[in-house]
Amino acid sequence: MLTLGTVPAWAVLGQYESSVSVDQQYLRSEDRVQAFQAYKVHQLTTANGTIVREYISPQGLVFGVTWQGPFMPNMQQLLGSYVTNLQTALPAQTHVRHLRGLTVKTNDFVFVNSGHMRFWKGSAYVPSLIPSNVSAEVVR
Amino acid sequence: MTLRNASKATLGRFLALVTGLIFLGSCGGSSSSSSSTSTPAANNTAALTVGFGPLGAAGGYVNGIFTSVTVCAPGTSNCETVDNVLVDTGSAGLRILNSALTTVPASSLGTITDSNGDQLQECVQYGDTSYSWGPMLVADVELAGEKASSLPIQVIGDNSFAVPSQCLATPVNPSLPNGGNEDTVATLGANGILGLGGFGYPLDCGSYCTSSSDLTQSGYPYYVCPTGQACSATTVPTQDQATNPVAAFSSADNNGVLVTLPSIPALGAANGTVSGSLIFGIGTQTDNALATTATVYALDEYGDIPAFTYNGVSYTSPTNWSVLDTGSNSLEFLDANTLASVGIIECADAPGLYCPTSTIPFTVTASGANSTSGTIMFSIMNADTLFNTNNAAFNDLGGDSGTSPANDFFDFGLPFFFGRSVYIGMMPGVFTGESSAPSGAASATNGYYAF
Repeated sequence: MLTLGTVPAWAVLGQYESSVSVDQQYLRSEDRVQAFQAYKVHQLTTANGTIVREYISPQGLVFGVTWQGPFMPNMQQLLGSYVTNLQTALPAQTHVRHLRGLTVKTNDFVFVNSGHMRFWKGSAYVPSLIPSNVSAEVVR
Repeated sequence: MTLRNASKATLGRFLALVTGLIFLGSCGGSSSSSSSTSTPAANNTAALTVGFGPLGAAGGYVNGIFTSVTVCAPGTSNCETVDNVLVDTGSAGLRILNSALTTVPASSLGTITDSNGDQLQECVQYGDTSYSWGPMLVADVELAGEKASSLPIQVIGDNSFAVPSQCLATPVNPSLPNGGNEDTVATLGANGILGLGGFGYPLDCGSYCTSSSDLTQSGYPYYVCPTGQACSATTVPTQDQATNPVAAFSSADNNGVLVTLPSIPALGAANGTVSGSLIFGIGTQTDNALATTATVYALDEYGDIPAFTYNGVSYTSPTNWSVLDTGSNSLEFLDANTLASVGIIECADAPGLYCPTSTIPFTVTASGANSTSGTIMFSIMNADTLFNTNNAAFNDLGGDSGTSPANDFFDFGLPFFFGRSVYIGMMPGVFTGESSAPSGAASATNGYYAF
């Protein structure tokens, strides 16, 4: 059951792989692991069709996450301390608004969220944590 | 049925409530109001104006498109016309600021309550993680000569309950004005949002909010807030969800809209000088016939045009989702990395907007679910050059959607609409009494665009 008001500090981006199992409990999801030469992916799928993928480096660190589902996810859960990067990097709302999506690109944090009610998707990664022989494009 | 607020008893609705872990099966279908009388054709054209909106040049946004909406206490002639309501073909449902309702205050509207008398509340999220929070109330809504009776609408900002953290994507955000809560003219930049699209679908949540299995999801939108307790997520029957008013019109003009805007110069047009028409219905009156020159693009199951092709690369739904969206101020498509080879660079002073050194023409091919295809041509000019004109309407303002083809989307914002007539047809069969789509769009079972 979701506890309102607090979010435990076990979120994943930039954390060790062990945090994935906590996410799995939180999302009440099934976990499928894909292993590639230079990284592996946990894919968590919930009953309502939300899919979260967590990309793990050989060092065991989560270097990227993606999400897709009918509701916008809890970014603090997925991004951990990087939610602060998201909040401080939000562009000033001058000239245009961003009802449908938002892109944040900084040297140490890349974030895209987009969609509309009934369909949200996005991704985030930490460039410095991506394995040296892996493209950021794999986080998709 | 128990109605707790005696003074509103005839106006109230009873919410079939499911909170917590109580399981209830599907909450049944939706229904429209029961008018089937044949009446003279309604005035189906509302005026549109393009500009900065109520905040003006200093605090507003470019390419805002606004109309007036009349809100009435249900079943009465007690009505108030609210101007500067943002016309948004990328969402479903009418949302009005509490502060914009003065002669017909929120307290005069109907309520939607559960068996405990607690009112239904909604938290609607926007793509930048900002949100609006307020009760769902019932009003008769008039647009031009069209009327939607007993329509559930959101009144933004009319409550004393703290927004539930469950519905927020991020903790209350000190970096955004008002913590990200857009419940004033200053933060919303409009007196409300008129959601006329919704990706083919006339409801803002649909089946995702009728089953208790989703009540624990982050980002869930509907809540009740019992006195002295935290707000809790609740299921909501479709007839009580925020609804595209057009779908609830008593007239036959209830199957979609036609947006027409004039052409404007490449350097833009001044605030308030561009006006257009929002015409209700498609193929229901002489002024909204589906033009034989228009190409119909049927939407897929996600409410997207299934594929776009640019520079030989196909971008497909839902990974690369898409929308024709009067509620966005720019052409958000692909990204500066992907488009670097044709000269797109981001503005140094406005990250996310495109600032090429010269105007760049684009041709994108769209492919509908009905096997149609056609080209969309537009240009992108330097955003700084455009903003320096102090104009308010631009057909060539663009920006990043994502960061790579893995997460890019195609949000054809207001620039797309200038010089076009764009038909936005709703998914048939959601509401009883909905007019059929014209024959040219009869196969579009998820809704369609035509232009």
